[in-house]
Amino acid sequence: MQDDDIDNSVTLCRACDLAVRRRALPSNVRALCPRCHTALYDTPYCSINGMLALCISALALFIPANVFPVLELHFLGSVRTATVFDGAMAVMDLGYWIVGIAVLVAAVLGPGILLLSIFAQLLLVKSGLTTSWQRSLYTRLLKQQGLLSQLTMLEIYVISFLVSAFQLSDFSDIYFGVGTFSFTMLFLVTLFLQREYSIEHMWSYLND
Amino acid sequence: MTDRHQSTGKHIGLCHCSVCHQTNPIELSHCSRCGAENKPRDYSSLHKSWALLITAAILLIPANIYPITTLVNQGKVTHDTIFSGITHLVHSDMLPIAIIVFTASILVPWLKIIGLATYLIAISFDLPVSKRKLMAGFHFIEWIGRWSMLDLFVISLTVALVNMGQLLDAKPAPAATAFALVILLTQLAAKVLDTRLLWDRLDVKNDKH
Repeated sequence: MQDDDIDNSVTLCRACDLAVRRRALPSNVRALCPRCHTALYDTPYCSINGMLALCISALALFIPANVFPVLELHFLGSVRTATVFDGAMAVMDLGYWIVGIAVLVAAVLGPGILLLSIFAQLLLVKSGLTTSWQRSLYTRLLKQQGLLSQLTMLEIYVISFLVSAFQLSDFSDIYFGVGTFSFTMLFLVTLFLQREYSIEHMWSYLND
Repeated sequence: MTDRHQSTGKHIGLCHCSVCHQTNPIELSHCSRCGAENKPRDYSSLHKSWALLITAAILLIPANIYPITTLVNQGKVTHDTIFSGITHLVHSDMLPIAIIVFTASILVPWLKIIGLATYLIAISFDLPVSKRKLMAGFHFIEWIGRWSMLDLFVISLTVALVNMGQLLDAKPAPAATAFALVILLTQLAAKVLDTRLLWDRLDVKNDKH
């Protein structure tokens, strides 16, 4: 019957299950569900090469952002520095391992795995997704994408070291370092990468 | 029976894959693209969401009444709860910071729990609340929920930097764990819920504005 016709032109709202007819959209416009205003789809614009460039820069920034201290504290002649990892370990050593794991996952592991996963996905798309193991690996990576991007909280971490700097500057001198700069840049590059990345579009590579 | 007929996927025999957003025929048991199980509706998600939300609401009490940080300043020990930490900030003339911390650690968790509870009550008991407003609230909660992590990040950095023994030392306190669990559980409660249930159950007459 007209089953094939329906499959290609109708999309279902993920929040309220309303059937909506797909239309071509101009760029930078999002289609919203007419009933519940959930974002449905936008123009499939994501350049693989552009994303690859952003992804490699983000991976390069990831190393200094985690190796160098993000904050440096001078108090009565003694100097203390802390990387993101140190912060997580400090609370974990004091027995608050749930807090420590939350910090570690949201600010180090989450972003790191997210970037590696996107990098692998881009390489797989570039290789053409011809063999079956490539397709199954690609599917597996895409399935974890939603979770990984939820676990990545770089933007919150950037605000939080600004808040800490203000709070601590009350009784000590606070300095920013290479780590702070790298971390902020990592956040910005990842932000642009996530804006460019469209999960719908990445899934559609499997269709053809 | 509506004046302006809006058909849902369930009526026309289609099913939305929650993992890869593929539109599948409803007869398929698994998605044709990603192989995840096809669920036209997930009725158990309502109970899961309730369970997670109630646990989070219970944990919100210790998170607010117990101290979240301990500060040793020249041998003098002070305990700070979330709220007293914010009042200190206000008294030391850091109003903008106080507003940020207040939003992230008090306003957002409470909003999330009250908002989600309203949403779940509306589904469970067919309350006559505008579905569109509920949905807008739900999207807002989903988006702002993660910002509660701010306080935990600040604590971890402060603890790592301020460790000069009896002179000056900051440590986390029991409320930190409770607060971390509140964030985790409320995020999960919002994530597991199948929002299509709201649109199935409520009467069409509530959808006018």
